[in-house]
Amino acid sequence: MADFIQLLVAGLATGGIYALVAIGFTLLWQTSQTINFAQGEFVMLPAFFMLGAMSVLGLPFWGAVVVGILVAALVLGVLFKRLVVDPMLHHGVLPLAIATMALSLFLKEAVKDFYSAEAQPFPPLAADVNVSFLGAAVSLQSLIVVAIAIGAVVALQLFLNNTQTGRRMQATAQNPTVARILGIPVERMILLAFVINAVLAALASALVTPIYLAKFSNGEYLGIAAFIAAIVGGFNQVRGAILGGLLLGVVDNFAAAYLSAQYRAAIPLVLLIVVILFRPQGLLGRVEERTV
Amino acid sequence: MAVLEVRDLSKQFGGIHAVEGVSFDVNEGEILGIIGPNGSGKSTLFNCILGQLHPTSGEVRLDGRAVTGMRPCDLNRLGVSRTFQLLQVFPELTVRENLILAAQEHKGSMLTRLFGARDVGLTGDAGRMIEFFRLAHVAEAKAGALSYGQQKLLDAAMAFMAGPRLVLLDEPAGGVNLTMLANLRDRLAAINREEGATFVVIEHNMEFVMALCSRIVVLAEGRIIAQGDPADVRRDPKVIEAYLGH
Repeated sequence: MADFIQLLVAGLATGGIYALVAIGFTLLWQTSQTINFAQGEFVMLPAFFMLGAMSVLGLPFWGAVVVGILVAALVLGVLFKRLVVDPMLHHGVLPLAIATMALSLFLKEAVKDFYSAEAQPFPPLAADVNVSFLGAAVSLQSLIVVAIAIGAVVALQLFLNNTQTGRRMQATAQNPTVARILGIPVERMILLAFVINAVLAALASALVTPIYLAKFSNGEYLGIAAFIAAIVGGFNQVRGAILGGLLLGVVDNFAAAYLSAQYRAAIPLVLLIVVILFRPQGLLGRVEERTV
Repeated sequence: MAVLEVRDLSKQFGGIHAVEGVSFDVNEGEILGIIGPNGSGKSTLFNCILGQLHPTSGEVRLDGRAVTGMRPCDLNRLGVSRTFQLLQVFPELTVRENLILAAQEHKGSMLTRLFGARDVGLTGDAGRMIEFFRLAHVAEAKAGALSYGQQKLLDAAMAFMAGPRLVLLDEPAGGVNLTMLANLRDRLAAINREEGATFVVIEHNMEFVMALCSRIVVLAEGRIIAQGDPADVRRDPKVIEAYLGH
């Protein structure tokens, strides 16, 4: 039982990080039909912004996290939208997806060449201690990750469902033509979705890098995991991405412990195949019809 | 007094004259019907008035002010709202949220829109529209879950939310069953009678238009072939010919 709770908490921590990244994925898809294959690198890169803020600006860890998030919002939100998405989008969804693949390679290689190919140490979120939780000893770090991920998701949901701008974003996602006629600044809402995606990815970066250390290749698995989480949960629903992320994290951890550590990486793919076969719109997704 | 004046409006697509030299007025408080066979240019005319298309020539004036070719969202701000031939509601938002959304951009400044409360002081207006269009039993349901007829009612209610000067309804009766049709006609007549709302209706359904409109403009092949009150238009041989063919 204690094992089970330990694994569950660790799984929820991993899953919470996947969920943050997957939510951004679905936001970009919903507002601008962007499938961002560089999403994993969007999590890898902010850790280097944070390291830079600590070494160059001499900021303490949490200050560096804030600076890293702000820089990510600018570079991976605003600049990504303006320099990559805007010029490519009118060529269609596929060319844009390919452009994001190129961006993914570019970011990875750039970090490798200009920063380092070696894994860089990254400060832990908390001292490496265990606390007692429901009779099990779980790591404080995992609990903090879960708490921050939940906090971010709740804040996002409150924003989307309880503010006018949130409702404008929903309107933009559901029916951009009418939203535009009603006077909603559709372009600004789409840009906001990109900024939110970058902020969530940077937050995920701060949560995940203490575990994996900062390395140029960190995004490879994270990007796939977020992609799978979004598809499993339902590509067109934020709550689908949350469910998909958590499910994937928990399944991942349980599979490693109870089934086989060797086949750990295969389990999410099996989950993906099963969902695509039996529920292609995802667990919480709705069937989407596209007019051509 | 004329709310909307359309003067000598033409729209060509390549060599095709979709609308040719169309002029008419819409007077304060009236319901004007625009009818015509398929392909007669009704929707093109609508889209030119609403800024969705740029007319090749001619002028559109709202309260005496030239608004030709103005963007749809700016026209919306000036008080021209519309419904769509193919339904356009926000399917994942509730009926109440759809209504509030239809008017929220008219309220407040950019700052209050960004940080302000959700209902923007529009809850009262939304409630009134829900009552008026008899949507109370589905007020908290997602718009996408409503029947087609109910969505048409919602679409119409949204068009009236911001207290518009002029509402253009594009085939409001299309695909609506008979009971809902009577309901819709009754509600539109009531909002015209009670609130003095001015609107223009494009419609195929002759009976619906005859019963609702005080004046009718008949289009055929992009030109106005007749206009006047419903009884006269119905008897006009040119109209009968256009509808029944040669």
